[in-house]
Amino acid sequence: MNMAAKTAKQGRPGARRAAVDQDEEEQPLQAVLVADSFNRRFFPVTKDQPRALLPLANVAMIDYTLEFLTSTGVQETFVFCCWMSDKIKDHLAKSKWCRSNSSNTVHFITSDTYRSLGDVLRDVDAKALLRSDFILVYGDVVSSIDVTQALQEHRLRRKLEKNISVMTMIFKESSPGHRARCEEDNIVVAVDSKSKRILHYQKTQGLKKLQFPMNIFHSTSDEFEIRHDLLDCHISICSPQVAELFTDNFDYQTRNDFVRGILVNEEILGNQIHLHVAKDGYGARVSNLFMYDAVSSDMIRRWIYPITPESNFVDEEGKSCTHSRHNVYRGTGVSLGHGSQMEENVLIGQDTSIGAKGHISNSVIGANCIIGDNVILDRAYIWNNVHIADNVAIRQSVVCDGVEVKTGVILKEQCVLAFNAVVGPDVTLPEGTVVSLHHPDEEEEEQDEFLSDHAEAGHNKATKKDKANNSKELGTEGQGYIWKSSSLDHTKEDELAQSLWGLVLNPDPESDSESEASEGSDQPGSRTISPELDDIKVFQTEVQGTLQRGLEENIGCDNLVLEINSLKYAYNITLKEVMQILTRVVLEYPFFQEGADLSTSQYNTLLLPLLKGWAPVFKNYVKRAQDHLNCLASIEEFFLEHEAHWGALVKVLMSAYNLDILEEDGIMRWFSQEGTTDKSKLLRKNQGLLKFIQWLEEAEEYSEGD
Amino acid sequence: MELQAVLMAAGGGSRMMELTYNTHKPLLPVGNKPLIWYPLNLLERVGFEEVIIITTKDVQKMLTPDRLKLDGKMKLDVVCIQLEGEMGTADALRHVQQKIKTDVLVLSCDLITDVALHEVVDLFRAHNASMAMLMSKLHEFTETVPGQKGKKKAGEQRDFVGVDATGQRLLFMANEADLEDGLTIRKSIMCKHPSMRIRTGLLDAHLYCLKRCVVDFLVENKNISSIRGELIPYLVRKQFSKSVNLPNNKDEVEMSQKMEGQTNLEILGSCKDEELLRLTQERSCWNDHHGDMSEAYHGGKVRCYVHIMEDGVCYRVNTLAAYIEANRMAPKLIEDPPIHPSAVISECTQVGADSIIGASCQISDKTSIKRSTVGASSTVREKVKITNSILMNGVTVEEGCNIQGSVICSNAVIGRNADIKYCLVGSSQRIEPDARHLDSNLSINDSALGSLKMSRDWPA
Repeated sequence: MNMAAKTAKQGRPGARRAAVDQDEEEQPLQAVLVADSFNRRFFPVTKDQPRALLPLANVAMIDYTLEFLTSTGVQETFVFCCWMSDKIKDHLAKSKWCRSNSSNTVHFITSDTYRSLGDVLRDVDAKALLRSDFILVYGDVVSSIDVTQALQEHRLRRKLEKNISVMTMIFKESSPGHRARCEEDNIVVAVDSKSKRILHYQKTQGLKKLQFPMNIFHSTSDEFEIRHDLLDCHISICSPQVAELFTDNFDYQTRNDFVRGILVNEEILGNQIHLHVAKDGYGARVSNLFMYDAVSSDMIRRWIYPITPESNFVDEEGKSCTHSRHNVYRGTGVSLGHGSQMEENVLIGQDTSIGAKGHISNSVIGANCIIGDNVILDRAYIWNNVHIADNVAIRQSVVCDGVEVKTGVILKEQCVLAFNAVVGPDVTLPEGTVVSLHHPDEEEEEQDEFLSDHAEAGHNKATKKDKANNSKELGTEGQGYIWKSSSLDHTKEDELAQSLWGLVLNPDPESDSESEASEGSDQPGSRTISPELDDIKVFQTEVQGTLQRGLEENIGCDNLVLEINSLKYAYNITLKEVMQILTRVVLEYPFFQEGADLSTSQYNTLLLPLLKGWAPVFKNYVKRAQDHLNCLASIEEFFLEHEAHWGALVKVLMSAYNLDILEEDGIMRWFSQEGTTDKSKLLRKNQGLLKFIQWLEEAEEYSEGD
Repeated sequence: MELQAVLMAAGGGSRMMELTYNTHKPLLPVGNKPLIWYPLNLLERVGFEEVIIITTKDVQKMLTPDRLKLDGKMKLDVVCIQLEGEMGTADALRHVQQKIKTDVLVLSCDLITDVALHEVVDLFRAHNASMAMLMSKLHEFTETVPGQKGKKKAGEQRDFVGVDATGQRLLFMANEADLEDGLTIRKSIMCKHPSMRIRTGLLDAHLYCLKRCVVDFLVENKNISSIRGELIPYLVRKQFSKSVNLPNNKDEVEMSQKMEGQTNLEILGSCKDEELLRLTQERSCWNDHHGDMSEAYHGGKVRCYVHIMEDGVCYRVNTLAAYIEANRMAPKLIEDPPIHPSAVISECTQVGADSIIGASCQISDKTSIKRSTVGASSTVREKVKITNSILMNGVTVEEGCNIQGSVICSNAVIGRNADIKYCLVGSSQRIEPDARHLDSNLSINDSALGSLKMSRDWPA
């Protein structure tokens, strides 16, 4: 009968349309789950197990993602895997998602050729898998957000304006400083208040000032929001066109590329991205170990309710546990030794035994672990089948499956012991140590084979080879290699690419004060108050900047002279002043570089090479006899202000003399000028200076005699 | 006394010279009341008993209580300033500094609003703010402006106003013209106020509550001459500047001293919270924000707030368009009967309820007046039709005229059977009988107006 009704309807064109629309709504909700991160943030842990399967509160991360999708009403999920796809497949085949009664049908699509999210979506397009709006997530998203409302909003937008809105990104409100916010993932978003359209999307890491181009404010709306209190959950509701757009723009690799591309080309292509801010629920992507730590502890503290450790939503045997006071969860068959304390927020997996007098807080311990006596665990994440001997202390570290920690080992913050490593006995691993059975060299050799998770291996050599025998560091029975962080003193980008934990531990405390401090000089307001900001002062800072740039970028002295000359005209500075200021800037430069409290010898070692490098600049300005005197007067003035460094005066004069910046006549004339103040008289009695003068006199006599 | 009111009434109205070249702006009739009556009435309604009016000598002469039609409880302290040279609003405020003993409420004489003034003052009180101001949603002017019909208004540059999530803390203020390189916000501000709303389409009502110490700061800082143009943007910026909040850094202090001649320190010194207040803040668990554990206001001493009216009346009568719009709205704001008792209106005349007829008017038979204002002592003869128009005082309209959408200034005479649509008729102008004018400016000729503008540059 239904059929009959349908055919009858289709008789009329209008009705057919309605039927099609209806069809669209009746389509099962689909999702694309990308079970590969396409980066190596969890390296070397992910060498043995793909990120999606890493346990978080004793449950594989992909299970959380699937649970989120299922509970939000997804009926069909395409899981795209690349790295270690078999493992993921095995895992899911055993899970409840593949049982016949699962409301969410899981399809696997594996390919070794995926190297980015872009490849996955291009494949989605090629295979024409999706018929309507779909949810795009990574396999490491933990969330309890109900996206139904966002989905409705998205559909409504698409209904009102066909094919305009291509994506709705889900954000969670959380203020800066929120625990689940990772410094490196901080973003700022500019949104049209009424339409919730994203106008600007930018990562803020390393920025001090946030710039918004004016063209984003030219829309018809009169209210915009700039939000820095949003956490990107990495859940996006996408229109089918998203896949097409990835195909059209083969350079899109990540979602970030996509978002930026859409926003930049908004006027041309007319595609828009909207956002939905979830007020309730939890959503975060475990993008590095910092987030792993944060999400794990949120899980134990029950912030992700209704997903909790004891709910056993994966419905697997052996995953059930009991929840008691202070958020202590115990699996079946857990044995606790006498006097061991579970302080708070502890999750212990099945059949794990813990020795006596232990002290455990804020930690997760997996199944089948054996933990000895007198063990201190704080913020430790111990996975399965780990053996921890007596008298071990572990703080904020991750210990993977099958690891053995011998007696007396201390793990400082942010250590990672990858699969099956052995450490100890009686060693202390310093902060940030990473131990793996894989030799750091392997990666280089296998680089070409590694795809997906390891795709970026080539250009960020995240870890430095350390061929040295590790027995010293890892203890006599130790097995494994230490993966050294090579970049502690290197550039920021390296550090970012490499650190497993993310950048948060040094959340550059200076940045704030620095920006505030610089405020004084570059704030336009202060200038309007007194428009006649001392030109000379400005000139001086400009000269300093020029020299600094010259040093950093290795600019030739000729060009420096050109720049200084143009500054001279810009600020209307006399030649005499140029020289005075130049002298002053150069002499002050070591302080500027290294701070005001330098010893005289440090000052010397810093200054003399500078003088040498900039000698041509000086020579350009110090030509006539009067110039010499002026230059000397500036030097004198500087040293009068820095009494502590009088010892350096002679060196300065000496090298200036040797570099032919100053001539002896000038120096002699300057010296013979009586000092006007007591202090300058005192300066002229400086021992070193007297010697230098004497030496000059002798040299003169000598040359005359010659 | 908590607040002293200072009314700035020395402005010349340079943006509507057509109207102000022979009527001083504070005395322009709006709904048959001088413009200055509206802010005075606003103050009176909330209980101010005294107000300092800063104006020019000429205006002072005309400011009789009789003219102002106030209830007489208000004590008006009129201070005259010389019009020589450029004297800005901040200069004017500095001029009366001796009279200022407490925090001040500064407002402009061209403000017509039905705002609940306590909203602004409460913000000022609650946050112990340095400055609280009033803004309103910009009204679209619907009426046709005489002489400007069809002319597209040149796209005015928008003001960008940034407020925090509560919509009250003023975080950012800039004009589009200064934002060519894009809008820049320091990340540290975004960290303190992570959700910022940037609004455009707001009208600054030029009503400010200022802390006493800000006035002191003005006294020290002689180079600030305008409140809106310089002082307010300065205060808004200074909220986040460390040199004000924590002058520990020696270099910074030195630099600011050099740059501003020690005044920077002044604003800090005088803005220091009183001891008791500081103690309260220290002891209380109250905080103005959540999300982090830092102290209330993040330790900032300078705080600026804004009350934004989402609905209600708020006009600044500084253009012809605003003047017309304000006249249209005036009947709703005035409680007096729309037709003055002393007006003589013959019976066969239609006067719409939305019209105002001033004192001693004479309206003859068969005349219809709709949505219009007729000023005092005006005479309207038979068979005249007036719609959507403003007739100032002493205007004479002869028989059979048709006046639509126009502004007729004082003492003008409209000849018999004239047809005037969307025109501005200057004061004491004579329109010939049977004349037809559409959409034009019938005041003194333009060149004269131009030179007038030159000579009377806007003072305050």
